[in-house]
Amino acid sequence: MNTVIDRSKDIGEFIPQPDDDMLICRCEEITKGEIRKAVHDGMWTLTEIRRYLRTGMGLCQGQTCSRLVKGIVARELGVSPAELEPATSRSPMRPVEMKVFGKEEA
Amino acid sequence: MKRYEVIIVGAGPSGLSAAIEAAKKGLKVVVFDENEKPGGQLFKQIHKFFGSKEHHAKIRGFKIGEELLQEADALGVEVILNATVVGLYSDKEVNVKIGDQIHHYKGDTVIIATGASENMVTFPGWTLPGVIGAGAAQTMMNLHGIQPGKKILMLGSGNVGLVVSFQLLQAGCEVVAIVDALPRVGGYGVHASKVARCGVPFYLSHTIKAVEGKDKVTGVVIHQIDERFMPIAGTEKHFDVDTVCMAVGLSPMSQLLKMAGCEMEDNPKRGGQVPIVNEYGETSVSGIYAAGDVSGIEEASSAMIEGKMAGVCVAEYLGYIEKEERDAELKIFEKDLDSLRQGMFAPKNRGKKIEKTDEGIDISTNLLEKGYVADDEIERFPGVTHKAGVHPVIECTQNIPCNPCQDACPKKCISTGDNITYLPFVKEDAECINCGMCVASCSGQAIFLVDEDCGDGTATVTLPYEFLPLPQEGDKGYGLSRKGEKVCEATVVSVKSVKAFDHTNLLTMRVPKEYAMKARFFKKAEV
Repeated sequence: MNTVIDRSKDIGEFIPQPDDDMLICRCEEITKGEIRKAVHDGMWTLTEIRRYLRTGMGLCQGQTCSRLVKGIVARELGVSPAELEPATSRSPMRPVEMKVFGKEEA
Repeated sequence: MKRYEVIIVGAGPSGLSAAIEAAKKGLKVVVFDENEKPGGQLFKQIHKFFGSKEHHAKIRGFKIGEELLQEADALGVEVILNATVVGLYSDKEVNVKIGDQIHHYKGDTVIIATGASENMVTFPGWTLPGVIGAGAAQTMMNLHGIQPGKKILMLGSGNVGLVVSFQLLQAGCEVVAIVDALPRVGGYGVHASKVARCGVPFYLSHTIKAVEGKDKVTGVVIHQIDERFMPIAGTEKHFDVDTVCMAVGLSPMSQLLKMAGCEMEDNPKRGGQVPIVNEYGETSVSGIYAAGDVSGIEEASSAMIEGKMAGVCVAEYLGYIEKEERDAELKIFEKDLDSLRQGMFAPKNRGKKIEKTDEGIDISTNLLEKGYVADDEIERFPGVTHKAGVHPVIECTQNIPCNPCQDACPKKCISTGDNITYLPFVKEDAECINCGMCVASCSGQAIFLVDEDCGDGTATVTLPYEFLPLPQEGDKGYGLSRKGEKVCEATVVSVKSVKAFDHTNLLTMRVPKEYAMKARFFKKAEV
């Protein structure tokens, strides 16, 4: 983990697949094809994918899809999912409305 | 900002156990849980647990939950519900959303016991309403009394898939199939057997091709896959269902630990992203501990012991007890934990193909591939013996850490030998008084009382029965085989329900004597 990614690696061209239209991140409605394309656009880390597509940034905060996204990205890069650093965890861990997040106890 | 000596996140089995141990030593403890009810998954567990007395064996999960809550309450542990911990920092500051406010707490120590969340697999139609997690199914049935659907397909044959399938049957749903991509049943054979004998077919080396339906699930197609998990053309099977339930593993909810700067690793053996911890759950950040599924997927029984360990460790960390006292207690917990981590399903054996039991007996391959022990395999196991009169027949065929049967018999008929994982056997010289305590005590529902020859061409079989409505004496119906097929006519001789059986009813049926060793379940004839 945390190994420097070799960006010069050749992962080949994006090849369309029949299930590219399958939804992976339901909260943000992002498909498998969009995630695969993002890898070919140069998004090789989960943090980059998240910022590029908003996967895992919806209501469930990646509870359902983060493992699925990781698997898709790993397969596209030809590495094991365990080799990919997961996206950053930061507060708030669960979705919180801004009016609540900003209302701290006195 | 409020200060506590211990802040525990998660009021499940490990969090509550940690709170109890810490409070026993005099620490001021608070437990936060985002749910409206405490207990984590325990209150959804209506089955009897495995293990030994120290592991709460043969007690139903929700009862264990009640006991833990009472004990925590008596010790003055503060449990705050509807309290979502949204932030944890390395200086042990904890941000909690309660109501419409963010509250700040500071812990001298923090124990993270947030558990795990369910994995999903994708296939066309997986986002349709009606595709649900096994946990959701349990919540609907066991907490709210709602059937998740009428006809259900279960994906996953691990213990969760098997236990939830049985509960779905208990709730009156039809389970059309249990499907697993792996070539062998993942969970305990006894859990598989009790579902199989109700007639649920197992499809191993199969997976879901697609779920059908426009705005909700109306059907599902499965297909067989080869060793490389590639679909085999022409093997498609269709089922009309309204619900597809997924029990395909759990992932630790470890984000808070990562946020706090604890060293993490991706460990597939522990279920994914987990903190690096020592044997008592301490993370790389001094004073922050992890206990239960969050540090590696196991089960509630081991989560409770890990919680106790963390509780004792924080007591020593804050100077409430001496190192010697801590080490003495940890030694006992380690022994309990070690005994749970034995047998064929132990974490160290995960993924290994085991062909023989510890006793050197060939494992039932039918059990691994179809969910039940075949008639020509059952005789080789030590619990299956024959003699005149009523006697126990113990269809326990895999080494799992469980022994309530040996304490259940008032005549000491049954023994598991020196090791908790050994297969139980019936002592030759012991006398069976037909009390049924062994049948009711077996968490795997694998013990039957059989009188192979009543002298009039019939035999009687007493079996554990946990379905409603209860059949009545004199009811006519069929004896079902281990596979769940009607094999003979059967009449109910008696149905016993006493308090000591803890809701496991004992149904005795009369069958033709050649079916004494074949009929293992009763189905009432439809009028």
